[in-house]
Amino acid sequence: MNCQEFWDRMPELGGEVDDHHLRECAACAARMERQGELQAGLRAMAESDRRAGAPARVESRLRAAFRGEMGMDAGRPVRSGWRLVLPWAAAAAAVVVLAVVMVRARQPETTATPSARGTDMAMVVSTGDAAGDYEGFIPLPNAGKLADTEDVNLVRVEVPRSAMIALGLEVSPERASEMVEADVMIGPDGLARAVRFLDADTL
Amino acid sequence: MKVVGPEPDDELLFRIQSGDEQAFMALYNRRQAALYRFALHMSGSAAVAEDITQEVFLTVLREGCGYDAGRGTLSGYLFGIARKLMLRHAERERSDVALELDADDGGLPQLAVSNDPLIDLTRREGIENLRRAVQALPRRYREVVVLCDLEEVDYADAAVALGCPIGTVRSRLHRARGLLLEKLSHERSPRHAGNVLKPARCLT
Repeated sequence: MNCQEFWDRMPELGGEVDDHHLRECAACAARMERQGELQAGLRAMAESDRRAGAPARVESRLRAAFRGEMGMDAGRPVRSGWRLVLPWAAAAAAVVVLAVVMVRARQPETTATPSARGTDMAMVVSTGDAAGDYEGFIPLPNAGKLADTEDVNLVRVEVPRSAMIALGLEVSPERASEMVEADVMIGPDGLARAVRFLDADTL
Repeated sequence: MKVVGPEPDDELLFRIQSGDEQAFMALYNRRQAALYRFALHMSGSAAVAEDITQEVFLTVLREGCGYDAGRGTLSGYLFGIARKLMLRHAERERSDVALELDADDGGLPQLAVSNDPLIDLTRREGIENLRRAVQALPRRYREVVVLCDLEEVDYADAAVALGCPIGTVRSRLHRARGLLLEKLSHERSPRHAGNVLKPARCLT
């Protein structure tokens, strides 16, 4: 058996290692040893990655998608009220905070007047976005639009009142740090699309 | 005492199609990690791996997801979906450098591998070197290494996932290991690297 034949009979090719050749060929023996090290390295790499997996939010999204696909809660495009699901709420709150940060970065001097607020609300209705079908909702910056046929969820969360400033609402500085309740509209992909502050009129 | 094993994937799928949410989550929890790692190794991006994993299971949800038990296991089928999604993603993004190397199977990608000749592949730094080497393999070889060596998918399932005969899986894996070995050997001993993959020179 020559070296080519030896390597053509590797286990992955359906053959067996010929120990006789290894004893006679130092070059192949050395390479075989390196191959063993490579295999050990690949096993170690697999072991080091063993705990890696999709983040928990994927499971949440898929669970929601399953329910949508199977027609659960059919006929109720919006599940409103105090159905507080902790992971959803946490995710939604995080999205709102993120949106606030993004808006602040873009518009550090946002100080909308009451009339400007009215303009904002009018824009909600004129977007053609499904979010505009629900009174009082303000689309989040950079959020994708919802089609009329898309199912949505509502999650009630508490966010700092200062978040309202970032979305164009007027808030007195002394109350900026207070918490305020808000409904977050979540699209079928699990991402927040719009927000409605529940006590926006008591600023 | 009767020991009950885990419910087979096929039965979970049957229950899923009947609207059983628990079965869906059971299948997800059983298979998501391997699919995520496969996508992560293939894309090098956690965000892409997350999207791919999610999309695989959304595909399962869709009516008539196309699985045929006669053609292989559900596991292999799911890897196959992940692979197709990866290909689609790579085509869209055109950011997978290794894909561009597919056209040149004879050449090895240039890697930023440590030249420490004493490095042990099973140690942390060695593993990172190996990870980079795997990442830089041309796609068709990376696929088989990730599936067969890292995820320990058997050749039959890998063939289902890759949509090719088992013999092709075997030969690609053989070639892939050779490419990895060549690169890593070259880094350790550049003077002798030229002989590493030329066994025909040694005719005993």
